[in-house]
Amino acid sequence: MAAELTREWSDEQLKSDDLAKKDIIKFLQDHGADSFLAEHKLMGNIKNVSKTAKKEQLIAAYNNLFESKRFKGTDPLEKVTEQVKAVKIEEKESKPEEVVDEGPPKYTKYVLKKGDKENFPKKGEAVGCWYVGTLEDGTVFDSNVTTSAKKKKQSRPFSFKVGLGRVIRGWDEAVLTMSKGEKARLEIQSEWAYGRKGLPDAKIPPNANLIFEVELVSID
Amino acid sequence: MALHQLHDVIRRCQAIPDDGFKAEDYDQFQMAGRSCLEEGKTAEVLDIVTDEKNKEIVKSMGWNLLGPLVKIVLKKEAESLQHCLTTLKHVLEVCSPKELLVGLLEQIEDADVDNIAETIILLLQPLQTALLKLGKKKASSLGMSLSTVLNQISQLPVPYTKEQEEEDVYGLCQCCAALIEFVKPFVDEVDRGRESKAIVAENEQRIELLKFCMKSLGNPVLQSQLDKIPDSAEDPPLRHFAAEILVILSCIGESFPALLLHHLVKKKAEPGFLEEDVKYPMESLACLSYLLFVQHIGIERFPTVFSPVFILQFNMQYIEVLLKSSEESMLSKGLELYEKSLQRTEDNSLPMQLLEVKCFLSVPQDLVTVMTLCPIQHLRTEALAVFQLYIDKFDTEGKHKLFGCLLKISQHAGVQGYIITNIKNQIDFSLKPGNSNVWFSGPQLLPLLHLVLSLPEGPETDLLQNFDRIMGSLNLLRYLLIRDKEWDNHTGIWTELYKIEENFLKLLHTGLKMSKAHYEAEIKKTKENNRKRGPKESKAVCTLTVGGEKLSNVTPEMHLQVLQSAMFTFDLIESVLARIEEIIEVKVKP
Repeated sequence: MAAELTREWSDEQLKSDDLAKKDIIKFLQDHGADSFLAEHKLMGNIKNVSKTAKKEQLIAAYNNLFESKRFKGTDPLEKVTEQVKAVKIEEKESKPEEVVDEGPPKYTKYVLKKGDKENFPKKGEAVGCWYVGTLEDGTVFDSNVTTSAKKKKQSRPFSFKVGLGRVIRGWDEAVLTMSKGEKARLEIQSEWAYGRKGLPDAKIPPNANLIFEVELVSID
Repeated sequence: MALHQLHDVIRRCQAIPDDGFKAEDYDQFQMAGRSCLEEGKTAEVLDIVTDEKNKEIVKSMGWNLLGPLVKIVLKKEAESLQHCLTTLKHVLEVCSPKELLVGLLEQIEDADVDNIAETIILLLQPLQTALLKLGKKKASSLGMSLSTVLNQISQLPVPYTKEQEEEDVYGLCQCCAALIEFVKPFVDEVDRGRESKAIVAENEQRIELLKFCMKSLGNPVLQSQLDKIPDSAEDPPLRHFAAEILVILSCIGESFPALLLHHLVKKKAEPGFLEEDVKYPMESLACLSYLLFVQHIGIERFPTVFSPVFILQFNMQYIEVLLKSSEESMLSKGLELYEKSLQRTEDNSLPMQLLEVKCFLSVPQDLVTVMTLCPIQHLRTEALAVFQLYIDKFDTEGKHKLFGCLLKISQHAGVQGYIITNIKNQIDFSLKPGNSNVWFSGPQLLPLLHLVLSLPEGPETDLLQNFDRIMGSLNLLRYLLIRDKEWDNHTGIWTELYKIEENFLKLLHTGLKMSKAHYEAEIKKTKENNRKRGPKESKAVCTLTVGGEKLSNVTPEMHLQVLQSAMFTFDLIESVLARIEEIIEVKVKP
């Protein structure tokens, strides 16, 4: 930063029509402290400042700058202001991973058969499950477990990548807590299932709590 | 004559040992046989063919008679019909399946458009018998047969209404039903095979059946009207066919989720990827998704565990394929699939991050294309409804991003105007107590506002063409100035006002001045010309043909009317502009 700036223009030059307002403004914006510029209403787009400021004002400001010596870098608050300016409004860049504390999990798990307690699925891994899904009144709305001997050899466990939001939230969260071989009963509240809409195609009414018996048989 | 020739050939061949027949023998037999049949000597031919002494000859050469036999059977002439049917039956029993296959497929392939349905219905059964005789080596023959039959079926017009479907003038529905019967035994074989062996993926027959199902879904299912008949327990024929195809897919071991997620998994082109395209064509999968999620056919075999957002996500690629088509049957299915997928999600729930997935921005653009360019009116209306539904499903951050992107990409003034109205509604909502959000008030709103409150091409913007957009912008501005008090300034409009005056209102004034001057001059000139020309000489300078139709000539009166209505439009814009400036005057000057 130049410790001492010299006046480039004399009073006559300033008043002359040869010197455009924009040039004076540019000089002031380049060299004046922020607080100085703010006071003299010299902040912002040069074109706009030029429209609102009269030449007399600019000459006065120019003179004032050299009198008060409020050049850039002399402002005690300048550093902070610079940082604040640099911040801009980038709030939209906030990571989607931001965890907002929503309260307790909206499902409960009852272990029916213990798993090996060593192999837990990680987010993004493919898992295979047998499951039976029922409504609170006991109606089975879905299952991939077949009882008929013939079909049993043909049916396969339901496979999906866990923890990626591909399944209802109750499943995503619960399966991550299960180990290989574990069989559990999950009671999932509607907000972590199909919520207010339900799934009319699949006989799930609005705001339905769902009960699943899930057996985790394979991980990736 | 021909009969003598036939007898000659037969006598000669009777003397030759089994494998000794030469090419001339085959040719003579075929020509003589055909001539006999064509001459009506069908009874004699039947005798010759069924004669025990001629067994070997018929076994080797009999299949050559297929062509003429089929032709006669299709003509349905009473006298010859019975003989020919019996002859045909005999030939089918006796001849080698390989050769029969060739003969039968040839007949199907060569059938005239008028005869396709009948030929297929006549020959599917014999084809099935021949294939079954081939035993374990039939996979590629089966594939070829299915492919040939489907190719022919795809030439038949698809019924458009339920009445047409019932009448089935071109026989498509009958063929489809026959086709299901045809494939049954082959499907059963694969189904039984799955029980015993774990690895069936490489089973050739299974793959041929998979290709068949996929091909059927692409045509004729995708082109068909598949709605149920209200108050009827029975499914209409094509809906039934679609359901049967899905049953076959399950029987051969395909899982619907695996099929629909297939393209999500396999991103890179693998060696032999063309084969993958044949096995899993996008249009067929789109049809599958439509059947499951719109018509609910087969939905009981789709797990009820997936999250609604994920279902929307993988459906977007299928919606894209359907919306890019110009066929009504595919467009309307695409719109329905889009609507149903969106309806599963809650309002205001989709996060902004979804818009980073390519389809989520390209599909609404396809929607806009349908809204603005599709010649079918009810599809345009539906597309607009789905467009609004899509907007409504995003949360405020998502809406904000979506509006910005769509405004930048869209060239259509009407669409821009529509989006601007949406923006106004969102601002209105956010200004209500308890609804405030950072996206439609405060600093985040400003970039969007500046995008809206501007003239796309500066003062040279065509005001008439961009009327919808300009009025939308002016109305938004007027709304903001009235609704958002200067001392509140929630939207930031008051601090930005000077910029907007510079970059928008001033330019608009200039544009209006220029346009009005131009049109005033035009009107004057036209009036002069009309006066000079006189009432008798209203000859047109040129003619205009649109879409093959010649439009009526523009009379001088009409020309004048058009110019004057342009002037009214400018006046309208000016009046709103004036009102806005009034408001600013009152509020800014103390």
